[in-house]
Amino acid sequence: MNITTFSNNNVRGDDSSPIIRAKTFNIPEKCFNKGVGCAWRSGNKFSIYPRSQTVSKTPKNDVENKILNIRHEIVLFHPILRKLVNESNGTYLSLQKLVDSSKNNDNHVELLKLSRQYRSIIRVCIENLQEALNDAKDGSDMINLQSYITIFYSVECIWHLCEILYIDKIPGDIVLPYLLEWVRFHFPCHEQTAAQLLEACERGSEDHDDYWDTVIGMVVQGRVDVARALLKLNSLSETNEFKLVDNSLRSMPVYSIYGGISTGEFTVTWKHWQAECRAKVTSRVLASQPKLELIMRLIIGEYSAFESIRSTYTSWFDMLGGYVMFTAPWSRTHELSAAASACAGMGSMPSGSRLDRTLRALLEGDMHQVIHEIQHITDNGWFATHLSDILYHCGKLKVLDKHQNNVTQRLRDSLILEYGTLIMEHKSLWSVGLSYLASCPPEGLCRAHLLLERIPINTHAKAMRVVAEANKYGLLEVGEGVWRVLSGRHSAAGRDGAALSAAVRGGAAGRAGRCAGAALRHYCRTGCLPAPDLLLTAGPALLIDDTLLFLGKYCEFHRMYKNKEFRKAAQLLISLITSKIAPDFFWETLLLDALPLLESDEAMFTADDTYDMMLCLELRAQNFNREKAELLRLALLRNLARTALAEKPEESTQ
Amino acid sequence: MWENKTKPLDVTFRDPQKSPLKSLTQKSIRKSRNREVCLFIFCCVLVHFMTHLYTKMSIDIQGTFVSQKINKVRWIPEDYAETKCFLTGSWDDEVNLITVWTFESVNEDEEVEYPRALTKYPVDDDVTQIKFTEKNKIAVSISNGDVKILEISAYDKQTPLKEIFSWKSLHNYGNTKCSATSLDTYEGDIASIGEDGNVNILSGRRGEVNRTIKGADSCSLHSICYLKHTEVITGNIRGHIKIWDLRSEVDKPAASFLLAGDELAATCIINHPTQPHIVLAGSESGSVAIWDLRMNTFPTSLLSAHTGGVTEMQFHPENPQKLLTCAVSGELWDWNMETITKSTKGPDNQLVWMPLQDKNTMMINSLMPSFHQALNSLDCEKGRILCGADNEAVYLIKNLKY
Repeated sequence: MNITTFSNNNVRGDDSSPIIRAKTFNIPEKCFNKGVGCAWRSGNKFSIYPRSQTVSKTPKNDVENKILNIRHEIVLFHPILRKLVNESNGTYLSLQKLVDSSKNNDNHVELLKLSRQYRSIIRVCIENLQEALNDAKDGSDMINLQSYITIFYSVECIWHLCEILYIDKIPGDIVLPYLLEWVRFHFPCHEQTAAQLLEACERGSEDHDDYWDTVIGMVVQGRVDVARALLKLNSLSETNEFKLVDNSLRSMPVYSIYGGISTGEFTVTWKHWQAECRAKVTSRVLASQPKLELIMRLIIGEYSAFESIRSTYTSWFDMLGGYVMFTAPWSRTHELSAAASACAGMGSMPSGSRLDRTLRALLEGDMHQVIHEIQHITDNGWFATHLSDILYHCGKLKVLDKHQNNVTQRLRDSLILEYGTLIMEHKSLWSVGLSYLASCPPEGLCRAHLLLERIPINTHAKAMRVVAEANKYGLLEVGEGVWRVLSGRHSAAGRDGAALSAAVRGGAAGRAGRCAGAALRHYCRTGCLPAPDLLLTAGPALLIDDTLLFLGKYCEFHRMYKNKEFRKAAQLLISLITSKIAPDFFWETLLLDALPLLESDEAMFTADDTYDMMLCLELRAQNFNREKAELLRLALLRNLARTALAEKPEESTQ
Repeated sequence: MWENKTKPLDVTFRDPQKSPLKSLTQKSIRKSRNREVCLFIFCCVLVHFMTHLYTKMSIDIQGTFVSQKINKVRWIPEDYAETKCFLTGSWDDEVNLITVWTFESVNEDEEVEYPRALTKYPVDDDVTQIKFTEKNKIAVSISNGDVKILEISAYDKQTPLKEIFSWKSLHNYGNTKCSATSLDTYEGDIASIGEDGNVNILSGRRGEVNRTIKGADSCSLHSICYLKHTEVITGNIRGHIKIWDLRSEVDKPAASFLLAGDELAATCIINHPTQPHIVLAGSESGSVAIWDLRMNTFPTSLLSAHTGGVTEMQFHPENPQKLLTCAVSGELWDWNMETITKSTKGPDNQLVWMPLQDKNTMMINSLMPSFHQALNSLDCEKGRILCGADNEAVYLIKNLKY
């Protein structure tokens, strides 16, 4: 497949006018100057060709007319990402099976497990990409790999938050510990420094460049123990100021659902503690230690304190955990949006990136917006498909359209169908794509049918596999089509045996009849029957078509004749003649086959048989060569003469 | 912002199928009498759950995704050491490869070993069969009609595979290509078959075509097995089995019979390692037929086993009572054949393969719990089984009791 590289890609469309989602590509080929035609091919491909072909009068005139096949480059077909596609397909299918098997049961534990499985698949994929990046030498490869890594890091980050907010069932809906874990997991920038410092365990660690950033980072991530341990390493840790801060951090009440106190009670203790801390700040005892003062201001949840450290972080969600922890640790899942907008509003930088918008939408519970945003991630819809599917099965995906109709199922189905269709385009991944399409009946199966019929089939092994897969989902017509086409191909090349077996396999009666006809014609020409091994063992398969049945029986007649079982052969022949299923062109051959039997020493045909044959001969006399017809008539008469006499006495005795 | 952050995984669901074996439900018993000669007994296949066995040593399955559908896997035999290296042949991809792999642990102290590719040999089309002719030579059939003999370096597995002999378009329809569907080897000789219905006997040492049986079948052939040095058995797309005596001058089969009445392909044929007259054939319908060639024409038993076509069968090299089969339906079964063989001893003190009565049950363990894609190939070596699948993964099953 020839993929053109585009010389120029200007993205048109500016912010003021309605967005034109179009890109313009210039194709630097001369033959396209006079007009271009375009035709869709299967899947994401199309071909463009020169509209007005220059008809060359002299054969040497080589104006090159080209046909370009253009296809969208699909990230998921990269070898490393193919692993992701295949592995996630397994998880997807077990998810469908789980949902099918336990219709009304509460299966959120299993769903959570599957969600984690998806995430671990993404993690493995990132690891593989990372490895490949370390080994990569080519510059463009490295850029590609780097961008894939970025994509899947954000995918995993969003998925993790989604899992916390929607898939997991958090006891008491107190989301804080999970939120802190998420922040810690995805933004480990200070953790490594902290680990280094603690491992060295030297007093006077404040000489380290990142000492204070690390301490504050730990506080903001809610890791009070680590922050305290780090403070102990300061050479001034014995001073009153340090002791004061340490004491405040130590006495911070931590809410636990299993702690035995009610939320109200906890709130009182918490407020009391914060008031105490606030008093310490206002008393200005910490004025000599601005960093310590900052820590105190952070733990009393002062907005300006958080704002002041915003610039040291690359994104607002680094601070989300800390902000929730020190302003409203009892927050529930649906109460996070206020904290999110507070954090996002800090600093002057507008939160512009897609990840920002997606996370905001997630925290606000706007699933429509979430799906909308993640559909724009350039992973060919892998993420949107799998996430919306699992959320749908958790019952957490509720999407309404403009008219307030519930379109959740339609959204999920359409994402899966798109993804399945895309994957099916790949030469090797078609069976994976098929499994997605099959999980969305009835439209998925119709699509699968159309796509399966278009899979190029080169070998019988592939045909058998395609048909087996189609049959698994009840698409029996695909099998018929595939074998019919193969049969046609074989019979065009004159391989009658293969053509017949394929036709019989596909249950294509008409096709089988034509093949049998061809075989009989072949016999008329050459005098040898093709594929006797097939015909003699075919059994009930012959019954699908009359001509085929005739061919099979005729073959058996030949076998009997060769084995000198003349009487049986004659009986079979007469039944073939009287059943009148022979094709017209074959009558001559068929009746002439009776000739040696008629002339044999012993009478093989009864008088009645002979009458039947005579009738057939006279009815079809126009098909016969005159000379041969005369010969036959003579033989028939002679046979009649002797059999009539032989049979006479029996009749008279009756 | 999303730069290189190496963090340990917090999720520990890496090993996909560590769950214990499942006991499958008993299959329905079907029984039918065919003509007057032989009982076709569709045996009731009871999948047995041997708890006591697996409490001591649990079967361990470990999968690795390799980005290509694997059609064949083969261990590379070692003389005095445990096998570490194996071969895979892919199919149905843009570029198909024969790859040599080795098992390596990522970290020194870790016990789990993952395969790493050592060398890759691209082929023009699907790899349909790989068999060893000698210790370090493999015969490969390819779906463009070629048959090749490749050498694996005895010293350094990383050296690329070396082509020793290559028969271009050995199987063909005149000028058009046709698939070489399978081959079998016997002491350096190779018998290859193709969709053209021909059987070619090749000499792996001299690189010559010793004999061609033209039109051995009018349909495409799909499975072949050497019974003796001078006898091969072939199965075609309609389940028609033929035995060929290679000494005879005429191109006529010495015997022929049908696998089953359903006219489906015989996808694989093997014979018993110690009793070569016992032949097993797997069908596209998933059933397994067993013949005693001393009284052929009808199978002694026809077991309706898998739900999809049988893709490969192998007797355990160390314990011929054990049969391993894998199927398109994604099942990997471990059969205990004792119930068939143990019944009586014949006059020459050989085990007699009894036709299965419907009262008897087969002991079968399922080694691969719930798998959704086709398993194409297996190779067993002591307690370890390699398995190649259509979900672009290779599975290693360890701690098989044999």
